[in-house]
Amino acid sequence: MDVAPESKKAKNLKGDFWDLKNIQISIGEIITEEKPQEEDVKGPKPRPHVTDLRSWDMKLLERYEPFYAPFCDMCCLCTYGKCDLLGKRGACGIDAATQQARIVLLACLIGTAAHAGHARHLVDHLIEKLGEDHEIDLGMNVDIEAPITRTVMGRRPRTLGDLREVMDYAEEQTSHLLSACHTGQEGDSRDFESKAFHAGLMDDLVREVADIAQIVALDLPKGDEDAPLVELGFGTIDNTKPVILCIGHNVLPGADIVDYVTGRELEDEIEVCGICCAAIDVTRYSEAAKVVGPLSKQLRFIRSGVADVIVVDEQCVRTDVLEEALKNRSAVIATTDKMCLGLPDVTDEDPDKIVNDLINGNIEGALILDPEKVGEVAVKTAMKLAPLRKSLKKLPEVDEIIRMASECTDCGWCQRVCPNSLPVMDAVKSAAEGDLSKLEEMALEELCYTCGRCEQECERDIPIVSMVTKAGERRVKDEKYKIRAGRGPAQDVEIRRVGAPIVLGDIPGVIAFVGCSNYPEGGKDVALMAKEFLERNYIVVTTGCGAMSIGEYRDEDGKTLYEKYGGQFDAKGLVNMGSCVSNAHISGAAIKIANIFAQKPLEGNFEEIADYILNRVGACGVAWGAYSQKAAAIATGVNRWGIPVVLGPHGSKYRRLFLGRADDQEKWKLNDLRTGEVIDGEPAPEHLLYAAENREEATVMVAKLCIRPTDTSKGRQMKLSNYIDLHKKYFGTIPDDIDRFIRTEKDIPIVYKRDIMKILEEKNWKPRELPKEPSLLER
Amino acid sequence: MIAVNDRIIPWQPTVIAGPKQAMLVTPETAVMMIKKAKRPLMVVGPLAKRQPVLEHTVKIIRHWDLPVVSTADTYRVLKDAGVESEPHGIVEITNLLKDPSWEGLRGEGQHDLVIFIGCIYYIASQGLSTLKHFAPHIRTLTICKTFHSNADASFPNMDDDEWFRYLEKMYTD
Repeated sequence: MDVAPESKKAKNLKGDFWDLKNIQISIGEIITEEKPQEEDVKGPKPRPHVTDLRSWDMKLLERYEPFYAPFCDMCCLCTYGKCDLLGKRGACGIDAATQQARIVLLACLIGTAAHAGHARHLVDHLIEKLGEDHEIDLGMNVDIEAPITRTVMGRRPRTLGDLREVMDYAEEQTSHLLSACHTGQEGDSRDFESKAFHAGLMDDLVREVADIAQIVALDLPKGDEDAPLVELGFGTIDNTKPVILCIGHNVLPGADIVDYVTGRELEDEIEVCGICCAAIDVTRYSEAAKVVGPLSKQLRFIRSGVADVIVVDEQCVRTDVLEEALKNRSAVIATTDKMCLGLPDVTDEDPDKIVNDLINGNIEGALILDPEKVGEVAVKTAMKLAPLRKSLKKLPEVDEIIRMASECTDCGWCQRVCPNSLPVMDAVKSAAEGDLSKLEEMALEELCYTCGRCEQECERDIPIVSMVTKAGERRVKDEKYKIRAGRGPAQDVEIRRVGAPIVLGDIPGVIAFVGCSNYPEGGKDVALMAKEFLERNYIVVTTGCGAMSIGEYRDEDGKTLYEKYGGQFDAKGLVNMGSCVSNAHISGAAIKIANIFAQKPLEGNFEEIADYILNRVGACGVAWGAYSQKAAAIATGVNRWGIPVVLGPHGSKYRRLFLGRADDQEKWKLNDLRTGEVIDGEPAPEHLLYAAENREEATVMVAKLCIRPTDTSKGRQMKLSNYIDLHKKYFGTIPDDIDRFIRTEKDIPIVYKRDIMKILEEKNWKPRELPKEPSLLER
Repeated sequence: MIAVNDRIIPWQPTVIAGPKQAMLVTPETAVMMIKKAKRPLMVVGPLAKRQPVLEHTVKIIRHWDLPVVSTADTYRVLKDAGVESEPHGIVEITNLLKDPSWEGLRGEGQHDLVIFIGCIYYIASQGLSTLKHFAPHIRTLTICKTFHSNADASFPNMDDDEWFRYLEKMYTD
């Protein structure tokens, strides 16, 4: 059997000594005889408090200084203010940089709390259902089942009950971090950033908890590279059947809907589909469920009237979902404490009464906090409501669109407020003349992510999103794609296979396409980037809305990338790990490389693992769309592990980046742990958090950010070949900074040798030694 | 047609960051700013790749012998048009500009005036906010057809025809 070794332990506290002395160590709760503690907390810094990893953070911040782009010049938090911080301090003494850092920490904490609330909800519910002793077993191919938890907590979680302990720790840390945001506390931007890193780490931790809990309790795929291809797209939904649409991030109501449907053998009579991460997770639970699409499809699909019942849970749901649903008399069921929408709590009522009340319009919608009851009510309501709603499952007629468009007053504010600066008014004016092609282009090319901002601004209340949706309708039937269901973590055996090629550079990188679907020029950009790197032998991993956007693209052969590439965690693999919480498996894979390939102990050993990843694992995240605070927390979390992230241009609105200075050689000095010497390094990776202006720039930057000091000459040649190829493709030349990345002549890609030698001569380049064991840590 | 009152509201009105807004400038004032500057820099973004914006941009660069940074993938188009530039991401060049000790594109010291054209509005607005707060040693001027409230000086919102007339005046007067 090919399984990974047990992770190395920094100190073994088990043994006769402890037994003879009759000593027990209690971590968080009293140990009873019935519940023996198999492993104790280990490692140099288990369960780190807010400042325990500060020294590591300062090393990162020294190299990658925070870059602030204030969205607002003022602080509006306390009653001294508003205070204008442009060139001056606020009444409490805070300056602009510190205030921006505080807002970034707040954003990260909001994101972390969203994931933590979700994880807590899942864990508590699943423990109630299955018991706290329900075993965490990810199958025979995943021995290191929780790399983040092991590294942070210093111990291995064995049961659902153990996950509750992880939640206790993360919630405690989050509370401390939030308290630092209070007026009159932290007064240094770097310390705020260190705390934001810690919030990001807590986010990573609770995401891992959430996904492990749902994988083991709901029997989702356990690192299965052959997870099924499931249906994706508007056109896959049969609107002649009753349709239940799940929106959000919590799988529990969706799973219970599926259970109710299958329990009564209604699979052929009803459509269960989803938008955003709930969709991904429901299809991990049942391949019969369908994915409508990413976040950007939300208003478009609701407006289409196809959904008879809309079940919302938490995160990334439109807050006007009830108002929008009522326009088409779709029934809305809210299911969590995070989003009650002002609806009556009918959790304790008879399901049939709730169904009747929804159908008769006695209530506008229902708040049901029991997922099982949601399953029953949603299905029964959809079955009864669908025949009554037949005439509502359609958009306005074309004639009506033309009439509505003719109301336009040419004010132009729709395009001025459009986040993507789309020519909305031009499209509406053309529609008024009977030409819907510009509206159609906005729909088909995914240029418009249907945020509805244009409608809010329109002085004539023209329903522009409905018009865009209608214009794209004739192609809706073609929106049928395949996406690989979320597979969960990378297997240990896969990590063992790719660990060496990644660390030595033979596999040029692991690129993770994650995040929201609010793309600057449409979802196609993400798919094109994924395609580019798959063709170049990278490992491409993905989650959430990014995974869906990649699935909505067909290449020149008419196939989606999921149909063309396998789901293995290996070169040319397109690995859909799952939903937003599954992002934990991306950092988890990097951590496992350090453990399985390099034998670094995990338990309580954050700094050594992060240092290893920063210097040796050529991974890079891409969050092309910008939207949520969760994405801010995710990016900050992976940054602390030493993984750089490239954002799209909207990402600058997160207010803070971490940029390196390639021109400052002192910033790139490394400690060679083998020799004890301080050596010259290179800007690798050059930035930790970067916003690119367009896809072309991002593609080249991603290739560059996969370079690591530990690359062998062969690996460096491969990485530089990709960097140069892409630079030539999009910029027309060999990059001007190529000399920084060539240590000896052996690093030079053979194809470009002559040209590069010329550049090196011009720059008076001198060879330097390859580091043996590069590190930011002291020996 | 853009109403008179709308000319000095930021093109995306929600980018207003605080009480201080950019000074509205004509081409004549913009030219005076360039003349007065000791070490000006031109930053050209991808929206300047299309004609006739590119032609106007090239003429302005040549007329004033400006050192040029190209952002995103603009480098190639400028090179084909005969203009040498240094490629940097817009956040990279902004980061360099906010450091008073940066030696500048020509190694003559930090720039004192930066002229932006063609960068994507919302990321440019964010970068200008950075310079507004953290680079008091630099004046920023935008000569796009949209009003940038976070710059020190900006052209107003206008349509293409008026904008091209503005740009032409930057190298003919």
